[in-house]
Amino acid sequence: MPITILAPKPTRQAHSHNGHNDDDAMSDSGSDSSGAGGDDDLDEMVSAAAAAGLKSQRDSKYEIVTPGEVITDDPQWMRGHGTYVNPATSAIISSVAGTVSRTNKLLSVRPLRARYTPEVGDLVVGRIVEVQAKRWRVDVGATQLASLPLSAINLPGGILRKRTETDELQIRTFFAEGDLLIAEVQQLFQDGGAVLHTRSLKYGKLRNGVFVAVSGMGGGGGVVRSRRQVWTMDAANGGGQIDVVLGVNGFVWISKHVETPEGLVEKAATTGITNLEESVSATMYSSQNDRIEVDTMREIARLRGVVIALVENGLRVDEDMLIRGYHEAVEMAMVSADGLDDLYLGGEKGEQLAAVLTGI
Amino acid sequence: MPLDTSAYSLALLRVDGRRWNELRRIHAQIRTQAAADGSSYLEMGHTKVMCVVNGPSEPGPRRGGVGGTSAAGSGGGGGQSKDAEVAVSVVVAGFSSVDRKRRGKNDKRILELQSTISSALGASLHTHLFPHSTISISLHVLSLDGSLLAALINAATLACVDAGIPMTDYVAACTAGSTSTYAANDESADPLLDLNHQEEQELPGLTVATLGDSDRVAVLVCESRVQVGRLEGMLAVGVDGCKQVRGIIDRVVRDKGRRMLQEGTVEKGVGLEDMDLD
Repeated sequence: MPITILAPKPTRQAHSHNGHNDDDAMSDSGSDSSGAGGDDDLDEMVSAAAAAGLKSQRDSKYEIVTPGEVITDDPQWMRGHGTYVNPATSAIISSVAGTVSRTNKLLSVRPLRARYTPEVGDLVVGRIVEVQAKRWRVDVGATQLASLPLSAINLPGGILRKRTETDELQIRTFFAEGDLLIAEVQQLFQDGGAVLHTRSLKYGKLRNGVFVAVSGMGGGGGVVRSRRQVWTMDAANGGGQIDVVLGVNGFVWISKHVETPEGLVEKAATTGITNLEESVSATMYSSQNDRIEVDTMREIARLRGVVIALVENGLRVDEDMLIRGYHEAVEMAMVSADGLDDLYLGGEKGEQLAAVLTGI
Repeated sequence: MPLDTSAYSLALLRVDGRRWNELRRIHAQIRTQAAADGSSYLEMGHTKVMCVVNGPSEPGPRRGGVGGTSAAGSGGGGGQSKDAEVAVSVVVAGFSSVDRKRRGKNDKRILELQSTISSALGASLHTHLFPHSTISISLHVLSLDGSLLAALINAATLACVDAGIPMTDYVAACTAGSTSTYAANDESADPLLDLNHQEEQELPGLTVATLGDSDRVAVLVCESRVQVGRLEGMLAVGVDGCKQVRGIIDRVVRDKGRRMLQEGTVEKGVGLEDMDLD
């Protein structure tokens, strides 16, 4: 990643700019308090709360709290994430830079950017970093490594087979260090550690594709929790079908679409269940890529370029954005000099793409 | 060339034209590196520092630990402790000062800088939220012109804010000195704020860091001989300078946050005013 250090602004200008901002805040606070000083009971209540609770007036649209800033010293609020309480004054103080959010009486601060915090049910993409006796340790971009117990994976030869000692001995044949997998957060520990499971044919080892890590939760774009995070799309230019997995943790997997186990399940309804088990177990833990056509590879690389361009320009990465961005990128490649092989979407081209996407 | 301190009493101006209570120009930026969890770039006058924060994250098994034990030298910590470990590494570039000096990894001064920064930030950061993990802060000094420790602490604080690591408050640092040397034993010596390299060489000085807007001192380092009578004035000026520095770096964070809100990359917050209405 390149280092971006901007040339310093002329000091005069910076001063006048800041001064202007301060003036703005001042005049805003003046108008606010005068507005709230009306006869209305409600207004009085609000102004009282504002006077008691708010340390400083904030521009209601673009308000940011920073570490050490008192959010409120009104004892009616409860503190949530991103805040702490000063025991001496019982004021709620922000501990991160971000925006205030509230759930009923619970005040929390969403940081502008932070590492991923796992929640039960999240779909994540992770990488195995350690193999232990009965479990794997998986890097999911959180503050701690997640663990994937041997009992929480689909063992070959029967979907819900009990694990045996033989499985423990050959644990590396399922997942070894460096393997990528898609999993779901099953459980959380008190200290924030997560336990994953892959007990569904939707989950498991990843192959035939490319991995992109974008910054996780909060700020700077990134992946958001949404209704659909795994989908198959038709690639342009004879690229066939492409699978996209957007992990909630900001890890993205883009791969060639292969006949999924779900597809097999439908077939199995006609051919019988034993057939299914055999065909699933044969491919489930394979680390061997299938043959991928050059066209498909090119379109996968283009999708990856779109993801990175979205992140660089501070846009959200979700299904709608990615599909629209991809079609736009294909159009842009059509008119460029290099034709379809023009995959570069950084710099100006990325900005152009972002402008088109935000313009609609 | 020795610093001529006799001129100060004539115009009350220092070698670089500042008055006794003036800071040098501070320019700071956050999020300079997209790949890191948090990053910052800070200039205090001609002292230029870059900081990158990674983590909190749990260190995986040591690379090469299976093959041989040679690689598993330092930084094995973190491990099973209940609090996150703050690991700081400082690299002073060879081209940073006028005389090109090679500083080894085990330079005692650098080790002391590292441990000072680590303990200062460790006290402010809420490390208890991240058991078994490590927050690694790496600082690079690109240009060196006095007040190194202060610049390093400020840059590290900014990068930690950028990384979204919860902390009690900013740790803002600044240096203070005195207008005449220890040997001169001048009764009427004035305190000075924010020493540059030349002043740092000649005059007694100290580095002080405070926690946010309060007067709570987080770091106080004095490596030179100074009359105890002057110390109080120096400390008062230093603490005052820290508050100014905090204001400046806070504004950097706010500007960045406001810009992100305007661009729509983060969701807008809610005002507390709305809440009483329902």
